[in-house]
Amino acid sequence: MEQFFYYVKVSWVSIKRAPLPYALTVFILSLGLGVFFANATFYYQMNSDPLPHKSDKLFYPMTLMVPYECNDCLPPRIHSYSNVQKLSASDIPTAKVAMYSSDGYLRLSSSQAPTPVSIRITQPAFFSMFEVPLLHGSVWSDDKARQELILSKQTAEKIFGRSNVVGEKVLLDDRHYTVIGVLDNWQMLPRLYDANNRNHVNDADQVYMPLETGYDYNYMSNSQSHTFDDTDFRQLGTQGRTGALHQLQFWVQLDTQAQQQAYRQFMDNLVADEKKAGRHQSTPNNQLVAMRDIVRFFGGESADIKAFALVTLLFLGVCLFNASHLSLNRYLSNQYEFSLRRALGASRLQLQQQMLADVLLMTLFCTLCGLLIAWGGVELLNYLWPANRLFGRWDPTLLLLLLGLTLSSSYLVTLYPSLRASFGGLNQQLKE
Amino acid sequence: MSLHLLLKSLLRRKVVTLLLLVQLALTLALLVNSLLLAGQTRDKLNEPTGLDLPHILQVQLKPTTTDLRAQPLLGDLLERQLAAVRTLPGVKAVAYANQGPVRQGGNQGNLYDPNDEARTNVPSIPAYIVSPDFFAALGLKLLEGQLPQTAVPLDGEVRSPMVLTRSLAEKIFPNRSAVGLDTSYAPVAAVVEDFFGHLMATEIMYNRIQVAPLLGVDWGYALLINTEPSATENIRQQLPDLLRQIDPNIEIFYIRTLKEQHQRLYSNEFGLATLLGILSGLMLLVAMVSSYSNAHFHALKQQQEIGIKRALGASKQLIFLELLSENWLTTALGALLGVAAALALNKMLASVISLNALSWWLPLLVSLVLLVCVTVATWYPARIATSVSPATATKTL
Amino acid sequence: MIQLKNLSKVFRTELIETHALRQIELQVSEGEFVALTGPSGSGKSTLLNVLGTLEHFDEGDYLLDGQSVRGLSDRQLSALRNEKIGFIFQGFNLIKDYSLLDNIELPLRYRGISASERKRRALEALELVGLAARKDYHPSQLSGGQQQRVAIARAIAGQPRILLADEPTGNLDSLMARQVMELLEQINRQGCTILMVTHDPDQARRASRQVQIVDGQLSDAAMYDPLAVKLA
Repeated sequence: MEQFFYYVKVSWVSIKRAPLPYALTVFILSLGLGVFFANATFYYQMNSDPLPHKSDKLFYPMTLMVPYECNDCLPPRIHSYSNVQKLSASDIPTAKVAMYSSDGYLRLSSSQAPTPVSIRITQPAFFSMFEVPLLHGSVWSDDKARQELILSKQTAEKIFGRSNVVGEKVLLDDRHYTVIGVLDNWQMLPRLYDANNRNHVNDADQVYMPLETGYDYNYMSNSQSHTFDDTDFRQLGTQGRTGALHQLQFWVQLDTQAQQQAYRQFMDNLVADEKKAGRHQSTPNNQLVAMRDIVRFFGGESADIKAFALVTLLFLGVCLFNASHLSLNRYLSNQYEFSLRRALGASRLQLQQQMLADVLLMTLFCTLCGLLIAWGGVELLNYLWPANRLFGRWDPTLLLLLLGLTLSSSYLVTLYPSLRASFGGLNQQLKE
Repeated sequence: MSLHLLLKSLLRRKVVTLLLLVQLALTLALLVNSLLLAGQTRDKLNEPTGLDLPHILQVQLKPTTTDLRAQPLLGDLLERQLAAVRTLPGVKAVAYANQGPVRQGGNQGNLYDPNDEARTNVPSIPAYIVSPDFFAALGLKLLEGQLPQTAVPLDGEVRSPMVLTRSLAEKIFPNRSAVGLDTSYAPVAAVVEDFFGHLMATEIMYNRIQVAPLLGVDWGYALLINTEPSATENIRQQLPDLLRQIDPNIEIFYIRTLKEQHQRLYSNEFGLATLLGILSGLMLLVAMVSSYSNAHFHALKQQQEIGIKRALGASKQLIFLELLSENWLTTALGALLGVAAALALNKMLASVISLNALSWWLPLLVSLVLLVCVTVATWYPARIATSVSPATATKTL
Repeated sequence: MIQLKNLSKVFRTELIETHALRQIELQVSEGEFVALTGPSGSGKSTLLNVLGTLEHFDEGDYLLDGQSVRGLSDRQLSALRNEKIGFIFQGFNLIKDYSLLDNIELPLRYRGISASERKRRALEALELVGLAARKDYHPSQLSGGQQQRVAIARAIAGQPRILLADEPTGNLDSLMARQVMELLEQINRQGCTILMVTHDPDQARRASRQVQIVDGQLSDAAMYDPLAVKLA
């Protein structure tokens, strides 16, 4: 230990002798790491898997069961009510859920000012399939329409001033509902259950309503809806349940390969039967996409983040080159001292240990500066791309990654120069 | 100065030179592509929209009660709002619409010539449902036909006639007047000048408009206000209070000029261009630091050599020039590599975002910028190096 | 050829003024071989540097070929050095990264001589020092004596009128030293004026004239007696 402190001291003395080149090296390395890390934060968070143990078991089926004829089209990303019923009519999936999002105004009484809220209109399986934590109460016992809502914790606190509000009444768009459950803090990031239209970057919804109630009360999707026939979107409860008004997202849980295989077969049979019955003319094009692939399938990956990731990687490369260049210069100017130490009997191992102390010191400085720059970078990215703001967060894994990256960069930057300095011909250097 | 000797001296310092070259090349590649993207974004922001962007205001709002979101109360609310806004000084025209122009996407429909569906079908056209003053509110020029003067309900017996923008009319009814002809939805009453509709539509300038009452506004609606240039800001300030006075049961999402709306459309591109710009600046800085430190270190290391050269009759100026040309040579070589790197980066970026191909003059321009920066960075250490006293420098250990 | 009139040079730091050269009066005629001797720190190297226009002086005047060097610009001085003066240093001072030929061509390059002529002259000079066969070697591949001979070749390639040598044999063994001295004498016989700083009394005696410098002042060369210095 004492030896280690000695090495650190020697490093420090050598830094103090020529502070500018050292400061420049640290600055440039931190700059590269900081800029890279700021963008990597978003890249990492947006591509992270919020349900790693389940994301290959939840599937999003799509079929071309539509009243238009198209023989080389992708199926629509959203389903009609009747198609969801057909796709649900199978015992193969462990669980299945249909959903969409809308918005409304929530208040305790009509005399109060309304609070705009986002509503997820869905079925009870949503909460178990996507592992939504419940703080108080319970979810609906079946898929039937009912005047019951589930609130997020923040919404309950905002409206009632407390979280345990099970049994309380609220007004949503001037209709009375009973609160039957309150969620615990929950924000799946990215929100893979709603990946269409880049909705996966958004906040979790505030109010949860039974699917049938949403249709009965004519809630239209606020994200995407399509009418492929003359269904009147003001008649959601009647025409909307039978016509080609597409607005639902649909997920099935298929735990095993066998289940997946069986469900594919089920979809094929269903579409073939429907075609035979003359309900659509298109060549079948069935898709069953796993949750972990859904964003890519919908083309919702952030091109800007990706492009910038490419560029920041290049920048990091340049900074690494530059820092090693600076560091090489620094070591070469210290070469005489190195040779002298070796002449005085320091072994190569001891010199290498000295370099390790250099690396650690450099890592320390670069981590500090790099984090500072990365923090500024994240703020800047939040400002320029506010849509992605939910993803500008650091977690322990990410910080550890930064530390590892900094350590290896510092090592790289120090390695070649120190090798040059310590393995050069002893004689020649002293003579020079 | 001899190129041959310069090259030799560079070759003697292979690693350092290589590091410098790679770095210069990458800097050039990034600079070139950032400039390209910045130029592209600027072009987008300057594209013709057919609208007087800065002086048209759009209010996006939604009633907070269900009754107000449907007829008949909705019709009454709209009338009261329009009448109130009209009284504001500086308002030239005001209209309601199910959605405003200059957007990413929104309410769209298809349209075709019923006689030739296969060839004329346009899948995604913004479908506007508006009040009669919509055309005045956007300052649209009537090209032919007659603009509908009254709102005809979309769910009634009589079909509400349609107004098309010029390029859409030409697409569906090529080489003839569209006025009076029937489309898949309704007959065409008039053709107006093109304007920017939805970015995600089949074509930006394709728009179809029907003058009709709004059926329901679950997605909110827009008030479009054409203002006197001097009054725009004033009107914007007064609108929130005025509208809440008419009926407090509304949520106002935003009030923007169409110019702001337009800028927001490209905020992602603008953000990326800004970031790349900042990064390019940093890269130039890094390149300058690198040139500086390289020249500085090199000059120190070469003190003796410079002394010898001075003794052999090289003037200060010559030594200075020699040091600069060494950097110029590296920069030129780096720039040459950089052009290749820029092309490669261009290809890579183009695979994730839309990016134009490189023009020949851009790398040239950036190489010049790089050269100037490197020269500036080398200047000071080179000056120091030339002031080395030859008498001391030629003294050996 | 060389005329120093009442020339003085002072090194100033914040605390002390050191008179490196005091009122030097010296005349060197064309074709002379002058040895500058004196104890360490006496100012002989400074004098040589002033003669080579590598250092400025404070008072007096220095006429080279009848022309005063006072007030000449850096560019004029550089041209003067390049055309009229050749240097030989104790540490050889060859440029490591250049081949022998490139080293020798360097002063010719500064004079703007064409490439073919440069090469011809450089080879001629290498020939004279007996190293023509190694023209593409680098200095580090040669022995000390050989390096010094290359340095001499470089000094004479430009056909200077004056050769200034600062302890040219100081880093060499006696055999090598003798070879170098013979080379210098040969060059001197061909008409080149040589001023050489040396410690070695034997070498000094081989010069046509000896000038001794003590404490920055010239002492009478005729009075110079190496034994007396030793006794003191």
